[in-house]
Amino acid sequence: MKKLTVLYDGACGFCVRCRWWPAKQPKFVEMECRPAGSGEARRAFPALEPKPGELTVVDDDGGVYRDTDAFIVCLYGMQEYREWSLRFGDPLWKPFARGLFGALSYGRRGISKVLDG
Amino acid sequence: MEAYTVWTYVLYLTVSVMLTVWVARTLHRNGRVFLVDVFRKEDLADSVNHLLVVGFYLINIGYVTLALKYGTKPTNFKEAIEFFSTKIGLVLLVLGAMHFFNLAVFARMRKRAMLRHAPPPVRPGEYLGEVIG
Repeated sequence: MKKLTVLYDGACGFCVRCRWWPAKQPKFVEMECRPAGSGEARRAFPALEPKPGELTVVDDDGGVYRDTDAFIVCLYGMQEYREWSLRFGDPLWKPFARGLFGALSYGRRGISKVLDG
Repeated sequence: MEAYTVWTYVLYLTVSVMLTVWVARTLHRNGRVFLVDVFRKEDLADSVNHLLVVGFYLINIGYVTLALKYGTKPTNFKEAIEFFSTKIGLVLLVLGAMHFFNLAVFARMRKRAMLRHAPPPVRPGEYLGEVIG
């Protein structure tokens, strides 16, 4: 795995803010963030079924990761957080990861409202 | 009376330096395999190993020489043994702490290197036939 394309919810202020965070991190895997459902995302992945409401990650082999797996594979790409991604990928921790990232995903509109005042 | 102090000092320095050399050599010999695994280059591993051992010597011998004059000076043979024992005990504790610190450094380096080569924890849910970029 050499590159990950992260398709985030472009309508969510919190997600737009957060896309700067992986950009600053030292990485094992090159990462590129694009708003889901945008023209450039559609051009890059014409076969991808757009689900703008959820985080989607596509790797350089065309593998698609959605929901919790998308968060986990993002962490996997970052040097400081790979350890956490391996932990979250473990069957023992997976339900916790699902709860955590599910809550983050569910609450993102609310967080955006708070952040944007 | 002075003779007790002087002889204890001599013995303390000799034993402390010998202990330091023993621990450093153990670290040097057994730490190498960790470093070769981490750096995957023998010359780089040897270089880091050597530098770590130099640091180890500097800190430990530094402590041993600095701590030489502290403590109540012995006036008889019994006190000389106590004085010597306390000093060596402290040196052993410092050596132990340094040794575990070094082990922690080695383990951390190795963990980092293993992370770099770890396979992804999740599999893709689906595959796209065509990826343009």
